[in-house]
Amino acid sequence: MSSISNTRVPLVKPPVKSVEDKKANEYGPLTSKNYLHEATSRQGEPLQELVLDTPPYYVVVITYLNYLILIILGHIHDFLGLTFQKERHQDIMEKDGLAPWFSKFESFYLRRLKLRIDDCFSRPTAGVPGRFITCIDRISHDLNSYYTYPGTVTMCLNLSSYNYLGFAQSEGPCTSSALESVDHYGVCAGGPRTQLGTSDLHIETEKLVAKFVGKEDAMVFSQGYGCNANFFNSILDPKCLVISDELNHTSIRTGVRLSGATVKAFKHNNMEILEKLIKDQIISGQPKTHRPWKKILICVEGLFSMEGTMCDLPKLVELKNKYKCYLFLDEAHSIGAIGSRGRGVCDYFNISPSNIDVMMGTFTKSFGAAGGYIAADKNIIDRLRCDLTTTNYSESVPAPVLAQTCTSLKIIAGDLNPGEGVERLQRITFNSRYLRLALKRLGFIVYGVADSPVVPMLLYAPSKMPAFSRMMLQRKIAVVVVAYPATPLIESRVRFCVSSALTKEDIDYLLRHVNEVGEKLFLKVSTGKSSVSRNGKPHKWDIEEVIRLTPADCKDDKYFEE
Amino acid sequence: MQPPAVLPKSIVVPDFILRTSSYLWYYCQNAVNAVPGSHYVVDYVKRSHQHDPYRTVVEIFLIIYGIVYFLRKPRKQGFQAGPKLSNKEVEALLDEWQPEPLAQDSSKVEWRTQKIPVALTSCSNTYLDIERVDEAEAVKDVLNCSSNNFLQISSETSVKEVAKNAIHRYGVGSCGPAGFYGNLDVHTILEYDLARYFNTENAVLYGQDFCVAASVVSAFTKRGDVIVADDRCSVSLQNAFQLSRSTVYYYDHNDMDSLEELLQQLQERELQDKLPALPRKFIVTEGLFHNLGDIPPLPKLVELKRKYKFRLLVDETFSLGVLGATGRGITEHFGLDRQSSVDLTIGSLGTALGSSGGFALGDNVMSLHQRIGSHAYTFSASLPSFTVTVGSEVLRRLEEDNTAVKKLRQLANQMHQFFRDDQELRNVIEVTSNNDSSVLHLRLTDDLRFEKFQYTEDSLFEDINAMHSKYLTDKHIEYYELEEKFLQQIVDFALKEYGVLISRNTFVLKHETLPITPSLKVCCGAKMSDQDLFRACNSVKMAILSVVNGKSQ
Repeated sequence: MSSISNTRVPLVKPPVKSVEDKKANEYGPLTSKNYLHEATSRQGEPLQELVLDTPPYYVVVITYLNYLILIILGHIHDFLGLTFQKERHQDIMEKDGLAPWFSKFESFYLRRLKLRIDDCFSRPTAGVPGRFITCIDRISHDLNSYYTYPGTVTMCLNLSSYNYLGFAQSEGPCTSSALESVDHYGVCAGGPRTQLGTSDLHIETEKLVAKFVGKEDAMVFSQGYGCNANFFNSILDPKCLVISDELNHTSIRTGVRLSGATVKAFKHNNMEILEKLIKDQIISGQPKTHRPWKKILICVEGLFSMEGTMCDLPKLVELKNKYKCYLFLDEAHSIGAIGSRGRGVCDYFNISPSNIDVMMGTFTKSFGAAGGYIAADKNIIDRLRCDLTTTNYSESVPAPVLAQTCTSLKIIAGDLNPGEGVERLQRITFNSRYLRLALKRLGFIVYGVADSPVVPMLLYAPSKMPAFSRMMLQRKIAVVVVAYPATPLIESRVRFCVSSALTKEDIDYLLRHVNEVGEKLFLKVSTGKSSVSRNGKPHKWDIEEVIRLTPADCKDDKYFEE
Repeated sequence: MQPPAVLPKSIVVPDFILRTSSYLWYYCQNAVNAVPGSHYVVDYVKRSHQHDPYRTVVEIFLIIYGIVYFLRKPRKQGFQAGPKLSNKEVEALLDEWQPEPLAQDSSKVEWRTQKIPVALTSCSNTYLDIERVDEAEAVKDVLNCSSNNFLQISSETSVKEVAKNAIHRYGVGSCGPAGFYGNLDVHTILEYDLARYFNTENAVLYGQDFCVAASVVSAFTKRGDVIVADDRCSVSLQNAFQLSRSTVYYYDHNDMDSLEELLQQLQERELQDKLPALPRKFIVTEGLFHNLGDIPPLPKLVELKRKYKFRLLVDETFSLGVLGATGRGITEHFGLDRQSSVDLTIGSLGTALGSSGGFALGDNVMSLHQRIGSHAYTFSASLPSFTVTVGSEVLRRLEEDNTAVKKLRQLANQMHQFFRDDQELRNVIEVTSNNDSSVLHLRLTDDLRFEKFQYTEDSLFEDINAMHSKYLTDKHIEYYELEEKFLQQIVDFALKEYGVLISRNTFVLKHETLPITPSLKVCCGAKMSDQDLFRACNSVKMAILSVVNGKSQ
C-alpha cells in the first residue's frame, strides 16, 4: 500500500489575496489599446502554402545521434537490469503465468526515453489555469521513478493551458452562472440524455451553440474525446470511406476505427494529393469488390494543435462540392480562438458554415468549460440523437459546465457585457501574432499560420526538451514540450499556447527568457527562409529591437507572408 | 594523340566504333584515377577478376538488375493495374457516383426524441419538474424513478457547497489534459481516495464513463491477445472488444460451466500452438449488468481466472456504491478482497457516486501505463474540478456512514419483492435484475412477447446479426420498434396518470452486437421514503396492467 501515497499530492491552501489581485492573476488587464488587433477575414481566399524552415543538416544529424545514443543506452540498461536486477523489472516479465501488461519491446520507449524526462510532464497544479498557473513543487527521485512534495508552490506564467480566450476564471459572470446552476440543477446530470439526462439548460446550450457556429442544430457531450470517438460509428459502416488528414487527432482516428470504415490518409494540408485520392477512390470503389462507396467523408481539423496550421477550407469546400463528398470539420482548437467574431475557421475564411456537413468542437479550450459539441443540419442531428451511443448509454453534461459554456458563448457573441468579447478576441489575435513574429525575428524556427494561438517552436534534439522545460520552469514559465509520437521523430518541439489573459508585458518577459535559453541551448537555427526581413536586417535580431519594433509590425500581414 | 590499342588487329571492327570506345575507355580510366584512393578499388577489382572471372560476370549482372529494379515504376495497387480510362470515361464515372445521405431519415425514430423528458429542476432529487416536446406537456412534482444518482448524496446542500467552493477556487474547466498541467491537486487526491476506498493500488480518472472501457482495454491488448467475455455485455464493452484487435470469445451469460469449457479449450489450443510469447488473456464481465441488472458469480470467476491464468476485468459502472455493505461493489458483496481478486475495475462517478466522469482501478504498473497509453486519458482534458471534489466528498461521507447504502438496499429489496411476488403480473412481466440492484429491469414474458409481437429474443438476435453482416444502412426492425413503442406507452401512462417517471432501457439496435430484449427500468434512490417507493411500485404495476390489457386507449 505504500505505493499509493506517492500519487497523493498535498492539497494547496488558497492564497490570501485581494479580489483585484486574484482577477489580475487570472486575466491580465489590458495595458494599452495598441495591443489589440482585429483578425482580418480572408474573404474566401485559400491559404498560401506555408514555407517551412528546415534546420541545417548538422542539427538533423545531431538529433538522430541523440536518439541513437539514448536507444543504445536504454538497451544496455535493459540488458543489465534484466540480468542482474530482476526484482526491479517485474512489471515487464511474465509473472505467475500471466503475460506482462506491457511487453519489454512495447514499453521500451516509455521506460527508457520518456521516464527520463517524466518530470516535465504531468506537473501537478492548483488553482485557476489563467494568466498564471500555480505549479506544485516536487522533487524527483531515482530518475523520476517517484516524487516527493515539499509543500511549496511556484506561480508560473501560463503558456501551457488551452485557455485561449482567458475564460478560466474564478470571478466574473461565467463563474456566477455556474454557481447558480449548482443550486438549481445540482452537480450530477442523472443519466444518459435519452433517459433522464436532459434539462432545459441542455436545450438552451444546444440552441446557443447552433446559432453561434451557424448551423441549424447542435448536440452537446460531456467529453470532447468521447464526442469524436463515438460519433463516426453512427453514420459510417465498412462500406464507407474516410479520407483523413494524416495529422488528425487520435479521437477522430479512434472513432473512425470503431465505425469499421476504410481510411485513406492524405499528406497534411496537401490539396492536390487529396483531389487525386478522391478521384481515384470514386472511380475504383471499394477494394476487391470495386462496388462504389456508400459515402465518402473528408475529415480535417480547423486548427491543428501540434502544427499551428489551418486547414485550407476554401479548397476543401470546392473539392467537397465538386465530388459530392461530405466534410467533417473538427474545430476543437479553432472555435472561439480564430476569426474576427471567434466563430472558427469559417469566420476566418468567410465561408458559410452551410458548406460544411458536420462541425465538431470542444468547450474545454476557448470557453473554459469542458465537453464537446456536434453541429449539423437539423435532420442529421435529429437522427443522431437517437443513434449515437453517447446519448443513449453515456452520462450527460453536468449543469455547471453548461452554464459556463452558455455564459462565455454569450460574452463572445456580444450578447452579454458588450465589448468584452471583442476585446478578448482582439487580444488573442495580437498576442499570437506578436509572439510568433518575435520568435521568428529572434531566429527560432516556428511553425503555423500568423493568427494561430498555438505557436510551436522547434527544438529538434530530444534532450533539449527537458532542458528547455526545466530552464523555463526555473524562470517561472510553464510550457509544454512534445515529441514523438505526437510529432515526427526528429521534430521535438515546445508548444506555446497563447491566451487573451496574457498582457503584452507578459509576452516580453517570455521573449527575454526564451531568447536567453535559446542562446544557451543553441536553438536559433532558423535560416531566415520563412521570415520576411525588414529593411535588409539580418534574420537574427537583438531582443531589445524585437520588443521595440514587433508590436507594431505584427499587425501587418506582409511580415508573415513571402 | 593515338589512343591505346585494345583489340588485336585480326578482329575486324569498324574504325569509328573502335575509336570512340577507346577514347571513352581512356577518359573513364583517367576520371577514375583522378579520384583520390581510387587505385585501391581498381586493384581490388582486378585482383578479384584474376581470382575468379565468373564472379565479375555475376556481379555485373547483379548491378544491372539492381539498377533496373530501382528504376522500374512501382506497380500500383487495385484499379490502376486495370485498363486505362480516358478522361471522358473518368468524368462520366465521377458524375455517375451518387453517395447515400450522411444520416438517415429520422421520421421513423422521431417518436423517441419526442418522448425524452426535459428536467426543469435537479435530476438528482426525488421529486422534479419535467416537460416534453416544446413545452406542450409539462408535469410538476414527478416522482423520480429514472435517475442514475442512486445514493443521492450529492444532492445534499452541503455537498453542493463543496462543488461551489471548488468553482470559486479552480474555475470550471481544467483547460488541458492531465499530462499538460491539467492535473490539479484535487484530481490526485480523488485518485488516492478512490484507490483507498475500493482497496486497490491506484486509480486513474477519465473524463467520461462510457469511454473508459474502450480506452483501457485497447491500451493493453494487441493482435493475438485473448478476451473471454460474457455474452450480455453492454455496448461500452462491445466497443472495447472491437477496438482491442484481440480475439474475442463469448461464454453463455453467467454460466460458469460454459466459461470453464471455453477456457479448457483455449488452454488446449495454446499448448498445441506453441506461441512465441505468452498472450495477454482477460475474462470480462460486468458487476451489475447494464442490460439485465443481474450479477455474475464472482467467486467462481476468480477461481477460474486463477486456475487458467487469466486477468479479470469487471465493469462496475452500476455496482459501485450499490452492492456490498458499504457500497464497495461486487467484491464486498461476495466477501472478496478486490486487490487480489479483480485485476481491473471500471467505474463511473456519474452513477451512485453522483458526480460525473469515469475511472479505472487496478495496480500501480497498470495505472502508470494507462497514463501514457490510454487514449481517453492522454488525449483528453481532465475532469472539471468541481466534479472531482464532489467525488471525494461523497466517498468521505460513505466511509463515515453507510446508511445511504443500507437504505438503498432495503428499498431495492422491497421493490424487487413487490414485482416478483405479484400474482397479477406473473404472466405479464419478468424481473431480470438481482434483488440488491438499485435498478429494476422489467421485460415482457416470452409468451406475451410472442403473442403480441411474434418474435423471441433469439429471432431478434438473428435478425440483428443478419443486418450487421449485410452492412445495411437502414437497421430498422419493425416488430422491435413496435414493442419499444408499447413499453413507452407504459412509461407515458405511469407519468400521466400517476406522476411517476420511469424509462425504457434505451438501446440502439445498430450498435448492439449481442442479444438484447426491450425492457423497462425503474430506479430507486436512497432518499425515497417507503411510501414513495410503494407508490412507485403500485403505479408501475397499474400502468403495466392497463396498457397490457388495452385500457390505455
